[in-house]
Formats: sequence, structure tokens, C-alpha cells
Amino acid sequence: MEMQGERLIEASRNEVWTALNDPEVLKSCIPGCEEMEKTSATEFTATVVQKVGPVKARFKGAVELSDIVPGESYTISGEGKGGAAGFARGGAKVTLADQDGGTLLSYAAEARVGGKLAQLGNRLINGFAKKVAADFFDRFQAVVQGDTPEAEKADADAAEGGDAPPEEQKKGWLKRMIS
Amino acid sequence: MPKDQGIGASSKRREDVRFLTGKGQYTDDINRPGQTYAYFLRSNVAHGKINGIDTSAAASAPGVVGIFTAKDLEAAGGVPCGWQVTDKHGEPMKEPKHPILAEGKVCHVGDPIAAVIAESLNQARDAAELIDLDIEELPPVIDMRAAISGGPTVHDEAPDNICFDWDFIADNKEAVDQAIAGAHHVTTLTLTNNRLVANAVEPRCAIGEYDAARDEHTLYTTSQNPHVIRLLMGAFVLSIPEHKLRVVAPDVGGGFGSKIYHYAEEAFVTWAAKAVGRPIKWTADRSESFMSDAQGRDHQTKVELALDENGKFLALRCETLANMGAYLSTFAPCVPTYLHGTLLSGNYTTPVIHTNVKAVFTNTVPVDAYRGAGRPEATFQLERTIDKAAREMGIDPVELRKRNFIAPDAFPYQTPVAVQYDTGNYGATMDKAVAMADLDSYAARKTASEAKGKRRGLGIASYIEACGIAPSSLVGALGARAGLYEAATVRVNPTGNVAVMTGSHSHGQGHETTFAQVVAEMLGCDEANVDIVHGDTAKIPFGMGTYGSRSIAVGGSAIVRSVEKIIEKGKKIAAHLMEAAEADVTFADGQFSVAGTDKSVDWGTVALTAYVPHNFPHETLEPGLEETSFYDPANFTYPAGAYICEVEVDADTGKVDIASFVAADDFGNVINPMIVEGQVHGGLTQGLGQALLENCVYDENGQLVSASLMDYAMPRADDMPSFGVDHSCQTPCTHNPLGVKGCGEAGAIGSPPALVNAVVDALSDLGVTHIDMPVSPGRVWAAIQAAQN
Amino acid sequence: MPSISMTVNGKSVSGEVEGRTLLVQFLREDLGLTGTHVGCDTSQCGACVVHVNGESVKACTMLAASADGAEVATIEGMANADGSLGVIQQAFQDHHGLQCGFCTPGMVMSAADLLQKNKNPSEGEIREWLEGNICRCTGYHNIVKAIQAAAAAGA
Repeated sequence: MEMQGERLIEASRNEVWTALNDPEVLKSCIPGCEEMEKTSATEFTATVVQKVGPVKARFKGAVELSDIVPGESYTISGEGKGGAAGFARGGAKVTLADQDGGTLLSYAAEARVGGKLAQLGNRLINGFAKKVAADFFDRFQAVVQGDTPEAEKADADAAEGGDAPPEEQKKGWLKRMIS
Repeated sequence: MPKDQGIGASSKRREDVRFLTGKGQYTDDINRPGQTYAYFLRSNVAHGKINGIDTSAAASAPGVVGIFTAKDLEAAGGVPCGWQVTDKHGEPMKEPKHPILAEGKVCHVGDPIAAVIAESLNQARDAAELIDLDIEELPPVIDMRAAISGGPTVHDEAPDNICFDWDFIADNKEAVDQAIAGAHHVTTLTLTNNRLVANAVEPRCAIGEYDAARDEHTLYTTSQNPHVIRLLMGAFVLSIPEHKLRVVAPDVGGGFGSKIYHYAEEAFVTWAAKAVGRPIKWTADRSESFMSDAQGRDHQTKVELALDENGKFLALRCETLANMGAYLSTFAPCVPTYLHGTLLSGNYTTPVIHTNVKAVFTNTVPVDAYRGAGRPEATFQLERTIDKAAREMGIDPVELRKRNFIAPDAFPYQTPVAVQYDTGNYGATMDKAVAMADLDSYAARKTASEAKGKRRGLGIASYIEACGIAPSSLVGALGARAGLYEAATVRVNPTGNVAVMTGSHSHGQGHETTFAQVVAEMLGCDEANVDIVHGDTAKIPFGMGTYGSRSIAVGGSAIVRSVEKIIEKGKKIAAHLMEAAEADVTFADGQFSVAGTDKSVDWGTVALTAYVPHNFPHETLEPGLEETSFYDPANFTYPAGAYICEVEVDADTGKVDIASFVAADDFGNVINPMIVEGQVHGGLTQGLGQALLENCVYDENGQLVSASLMDYAMPRADDMPSFGVDHSCQTPCTHNPLGVKGCGEAGAIGSPPALVNAVVDALSDLGVTHIDMPVSPGRVWAAIQAAQN
Repeated sequence: MPSISMTVNGKSVSGEVEGRTLLVQFLREDLGLTGTHVGCDTSQCGACVVHVNGESVKACTMLAASADGAEVATIEGMANADGSLGVIQQAFQDHHGLQCGFCTPGMVMSAADLLQKNKNPSEGEIREWLEGNICRCTGYHNIVKAIQAAAAAGA
């Protein structure tokens, strides 16, 4: 399945780009992300808890950044193995453009699942994947703009996902950067 | 007055008492001392190369008793196929190995890769999560047309993914081509027979046990045919001598074909029970059943029917792609060939018929026989095409069928597709169905439906099937690697009651009742004095089990033969007791009498004498009263009938409701009408489920997306109507002693075209000419839109 | 592991279970009441229906711990005191409302709950009530007849 969307973020293109490459930001924006570690300049390992319909699983896997055009675009992709629940793969091509009032972030995402997730959750997968993608960019927008209430709301929406992130992560990313 | 016992009585089922009180014993209800539990780690990709399996973390998980992969099973054979088809070039079919656990590659989602045995199922499952699989995903091939058109290869043995390319009957091809080229009218239809999942409500289960002191293996399994499993697994997979292997199939919760086959899990638990020295139980959960039980149907066919100006059928040509899935299941190759091509004459006098069938490997779960197996596919092709021809030529669909029916006086009738029908009267069942459906008032019902804003449609279908499977000499010539007789031992105990050990297996059919009725009728005794034993290779003679509507026709006939031998021996004993000539002794109503005298001895005296032979002619007669027979039928049996379905269609939503359904069947003689009607109800519902609801769907990556009962639409109580059924049109089978034909599959064979014909009838004035099954609301709505644009 | 106790078919029982143990597993594996069956893993088939505090429940959907302290009835408790078939069970036999018998315990328990709530259900009401019980053998025709007969017999 494929999903598209865009967000107007009240921050400069450079600020948005920096945030897109910050593992702490990514960790706080990926719904259900419990752990994320940088293993190289473009690679991370991650643990993400997700629930699709009747299937809840902890996915362990890798996140990779590729097709990097600094300040403009990259592709973020990941594959997670959820044991008996199956696997999930997804990616998004993220493009930035200057626009009045900030930066326009556009994304084209796609996702694929296998195993029990596909068997039991098929009817729900499309809606679920759209929600995950939208959640990610909602959180990202909130974090970059420092809209704490929005970020908390997004976390509350994804509370099924696992332990709530530490309090300081809910602060705006920019605020943390300068505090 | 209806009889209350014996043949023709609707005796209540004795097995019901245990099922209704929770005392049935299904395989999962069995627990063995020291039992462990197996969990299979299965592939969640459709096609891949196994680069590594790291079980080290799992091996030290709590409760783990053993972990096994293909390398542990190197000495074992693959799961065998029981039928070999020879293709049109004279080559044997391609038969890639089907390993117990995946060897180097996985070929479908659900392919088992490793097995964990632990003290509890939870521990086994938890440990399996710790197995690290390194699987390199390969592009899968799911669609049959892609498979044969240069798609990825499933097995190196079949680079073009074709298992066999089969022509039947090759010699008819030219005549068929000529007849179609010169015909007054040719009706062409391309259709799909949708893939189905049997979904017996009891999931498969297997318990392996090994007695080291006796070197004996026991397998408890959900099987329709324990001896077939013993032979295939013992001789071909595990090299266990048959006398050291016992297979028990206790109460089995439905099969519908899916429990005929020998499965990898059965072989694994049998083998591993010896390896770990403890009993091992495996029970599928429903998701696992969807990924590992052989599935059904999945044919794509182009049909061409040539007719003359009067609507007489001149020739039939069918080209089919039949999905085999990733491996050949036990009887898979015979389904699209000998259970399908041989039925393309239907109830009709079509003089020449030719079919080509290409069996195709894909990265999907294996496909094998499912209730009806091949015959529903043949019937659907014929009956949909005839319906289309009737509409195209402006002939009433009942009339067109009647013009082409084989006449009642034309039997035995040799079809152009190898089989010879022994008896039948297709006009009689059609007339009966028409009367039951009350077609005279159909117009009023149609008007009433229209007043509600619904469209009403009427669908007609005839069917014939070949069952009572099957003459060993015939199936041997057609590629079967087994005979298809049945065995029965009848043991009269010293006090006169009777135990019957049958090779047939009941998993819902009510054999314990029906077979007792046959024996009681023949012996003139109370049914309660007859016990039916089945499902345990340690107790019963070597038998072939239950499928293909064969139990009463073949298994019942074997019982009849044994009872006849019992009566003959009883006459000898009675003659001795009455000091009469054996030829003068008659047997009736449980009494042996000397004709023309008042001398008689009763059954009990004869039975007791057989076992207390103090005064016995030992020089001419052995003690005891027990006989075994192996009955090999002379021909298939040919049940036939006519079904009529009325539907209401909501053209705005595409929703189809079954308004009424009537079935007139000719099963020959009927032993227990209540049970026969129940079999028809169940068959109809499975056929209507196929036509209206059920569909097994893989996505383009080979993920099985209809793998739960949330997504695979099983027929439920509120989807089905009450049925009108009749079996009074009886032309008894001419070649078995009971004159029976079998009734298990008929409903599933005749009902899909009746329903689809009704839906198309409801929409024909909009220009709709065909809708593939299942005729779901989405498909109906789309067909309406497509026809109107 | 938590200890639980409940009344099953009128008898007090107790046991220790893992938190994830389902009621149906407790009944089948700990109590040996194998009449309650498991036919699916998504609460669709209804082979596991039992009564908990008088209401029909899919025992595969309830944790054993959730039934702590409850009154549970299973198919094993449905016969008359003398062991003869109860009215609903007898109607199922009389009308051939079962074939392989696997879905039957759940069907009988569902039917019993229906007839507690509706003494005289129509065919349509019976069919709608049985929506959560799948039978692959009978086509439901004779199950419906059996429940109608049981209603007429005052079940």
C-alpha cells in the first residue's frame, strides 16, 4: 500500500533537515518506538511495539537512511521482525521545500507486512499504515515546532505501543536544543 | 409405515450421545503420560532461500526438550504423492520433493522450517521466537498465468512451473475441433473455480508416541484413513515396518477431504517421539490450518460448447489451469484429471469431448481434493455454459437440458470420456425439482420481489458425479499408486452380538448407525446388538478410508459380503445342529430353518455352537464365526440430480440472498433417510458457501490474507435458507449389493452453478452474462456497473 | 502463578494458572473437561461456548483468571441428573442436528442461552443468534429444527 501526505512545519528547512537526522527525534516520533541506536551515519537499530487489530508484537529491526540529498530529501526505510507475529517493512521518501511560514515536508510512504500480521490484520493494515505514517509526521511536526501538547496527544494516541517516552522527549526539540 | 430399524429406517444416531454430552474423544482430547508439545516455526515469506537457522538461544529456553530442522531428518523421505499422472508427451508428472521440514528453501507461507518440542505449548512457542532465521527472500509466483509465462520458478525440476500438461482424450481432439469449427452455435465462457479452505471445525492434531521396549510407534491423528497414513508414512517417509506402526484416528471433527492426506506434522511427531523418548502432541491453531491444510479447487477454465440449431450438444472443449500449490499433496494430481475430465459428459449425450489440463506449481499452500474434488469443477463448467447457451439461443434452460439428457433407456451409457454410467433417470430428478420449486408461481414471486425493490433470479443445474471410489484396476490404469477397495471384518461373539471392523472412517457421516442398520437388516437382529469399530489400524482390517462418497457403496458392500459369509457358515452349523442338508437350510428373521419342516435353531444357538464346538464337524468346519471381505467395486457409482435456486439481488448494494433452494437427488437405495438428508444439507451449504461467500486470497507477495475466520467467509446460519430435499427418484446402482450410490458430495457439486445461474438470471436484462465466484456484493455491483457502461 | 477457583457444573474447583491461560485451556487441560472444544483463534467459531454466570461466553476469549469466582456451566453439565440427555441435547439427536459433533457442545450451549432469553424464537431469530457458531457439516438446517423442537418441548 502507498500513502502520501504533507506537513507545513514552522521551522527553517535546515532545522527540519537536522531534526530528520537526529536519532532522538526519530525515536520520539516513531510510534511505539522503545529503543533506537545509531550504528552508523545512516543506520539505526530499533525496537518498536505495535498492535494491529488482534496482533500485538515487539518488532526488532533496522532503520536505514538512503538516497540522501542533504537539506532536501532522503528515504527512510525499516524492516522489523516480530517473531510469531510476522514482519513489517516500510519506507518513506521525504522531501523538503521552502514555503511561506516554514518548510513544506512531503512524504510518499509504502508498507508491507507478512506472516500473522498479514493473515489476521489484513483488513486493518491499510488504515493502520496510514495512521502510523500520519502519526510519525504529526509527532515530527510537533517536536520540531515545540508544540508540547500536540506531542503528548500523539503519544497518548499511540499509548498501546509501549512505555511512554521520558518526559524530556516530550519537550520541543528546538527547546531542548537551546535549553 | 416407516420402518424403525434396519435398511430404510431413520434410526437415530448412536454416536450422538457421546458428542452431545462432551464425551467424544477427538485427538486433542487425548493426553499421553509424559507428553510434550510441538510447535512448528513456519515461513512467513512465500519463497526464499534458507541461509541459516540459529537455534542456540532457543535450545536453552525454559522447558525445551528438543529443536529439530531438516538436517536432523536427512534419513527420512519426503511426504509422498499417491497418484501419478502421465502427461500428453508420455512423460511422468514433475514430482519435486516435499520435505517434512524445509530443506534449503521455503516455498509457501506456512512451510514448516523448524520444530520446537517443550514441556508445554507456551514454552515451545516462546522458544520458537528465539530461533534466528536467515532467509533470503526470492520473488514468488502466485498467479497461475504468470507461473507458466516465464514467472519465477518454484522448483528446479519444473522450470516452467508445469507439473503436467494433460490431454483427455487426445484422440477426440480433432473431432472436437472440427465440430466446434462447423457448429450452428458455439457458447464460450471463461471462468474461475475459486480456491477454498476446507475448515473442518476441528483443527488437525497429531500425537506421536514410541514404546522403546516393544519398538512400536503409535500415531494418533485427525485422519479420514488411518491405514493410508500408516502405509505412506511407514513405507515412504520414515521406513517404519507397518507391523511396528499403529495409526489411530479416533473421533474426527469433520474432514471434507482435507484430512485424507498424509501431512508433514504427522511424520514429524512420529519420528521425533522416538528421538526425544517421549510422546509429542501437536495441535494446529486455526491460522496454522489455513497455512498448512491442503486447500481446494482453484481452476481457471475456458469452455466452448458447440450446439446445433435445435440446441443439441455437438462437442465440448475445456482448457484448464489447475493450481497444485507449492508441493504435490497426496491425491492432488488426480483431482483436475481423472476426477474432472471424466465427468465432462455430465448428464448429457455430448458425442465428443476434449480437455487440456495444465497443472501448475505456485508459491501457495498445496491444493488437493475438497468435497466433490474435480467433479464440482466439471459441473460448474458445464452447467454455467449450458445456462449461457440457453440464454444465447432463447431456449428455456430446463428444456435445453432435457433435450440433451441421456435417456433412461440408454443405460448402461458409455460416455466419450472413459466412464460408463450404470443407471440413471435425469428427467425424473429434473421434473421432481421443478415440481418442488413450484415454478408455476415463480412469476408472482418475482413480482413480489420487484415490489420490494429487489431483483429475483432463478437458477437451474443438473449434476452427475462419479463416486463410490473406485475400481482398483481402473484407478491403477489411471495412475493411482494404491487400490481403492474396502475391507470389513464381521465378528459374531459367542453370545450372538456382532462387532464389525470396517476400513471406512466416520468423521460425521454416522457409520456407527448406518452400518449397524445394514447388518441388523441382514441378520434380523436388533441394531443395538451390532457395534461398528473403525479408525484404529490395530483393530480393523487394512482399509482405504472415507472420501469420494465411498463409505456405503464400497465399505458397506464389504460388510455385506462378510455378513453373507457369516450367514453361509451359520447355515452349515445350523444344518449340523438340525441334522439336515445344508442346501435345505434357510435363514430369515434371525432363525435358521429347514425348508418345508418346522425345524429351526435360533441365531444365538448357532453363534454359541461356533465357539463351544463340543459337538462340531471339525473335519469339515472350523470353530468360530468371523469373516473378512475385501470389496473392490466393478465401477464407480453415479449419483445425479437437479437443483433449483431462487435468489433475491439488491442491485444497489450487490447483496444476494438465497430465497429458496430445492434439491432432487438420485442416490439409488437409501439406508438412513435422515442421515442422507443431513449429508445433502451440509453439501449444499458448502457449495453455496463457495458460490456466495468463500474465497482463499493471496496477495501479490504470497501472503495468505484470508487466513482467519474473520476474513474467510464461512457460511453461517443466517446466510443459509432451509432446504427442500428429496431422494425419491431412485435408480439403484446395478453393481453393488446394496444398490447404493453415495450422497456425501452431491450437494457441494450441484449447488454452485445453481446459485450463480440464479444471480446471472436476476441481472441478465442488465447485460450481465457471468460473475465469478464468490458472487460477493462487490463483484455483483461491479458486474452491474460494467454491464451498464 | 495466580490461584483461581470457580464453580464448574456445580462443583467447586481451583487451580494455579499462568496469567495468559484462557478459560477454555483451564477447562480442557486442568479440569479434563474436553467437551468444550477449540476450533479457531479469533473468537469466530463458537465451539468453545460455555456459560459463565448464566450467560453464554466464548471460553477462548476469556482468561481463566477472569472467571475466578464465577459459576461456569459446560456441555458436561447439560444432561439430566440420571445421565439421560437434556431436552436440547435430545432434540439435537432427534433432529440430526449434529454430524461430526465438534461444534455441537458450543451449539448446545448457545441454544440453551437463547432459549433462556427467548422461549419461542422464530427461525430467523435462531439463525441470527447462531451467527457466532460455525458448523461445517449440517448446513444448519437440522440445528434450527432441533432448537425449534427444544423450544416446543419447553427447554
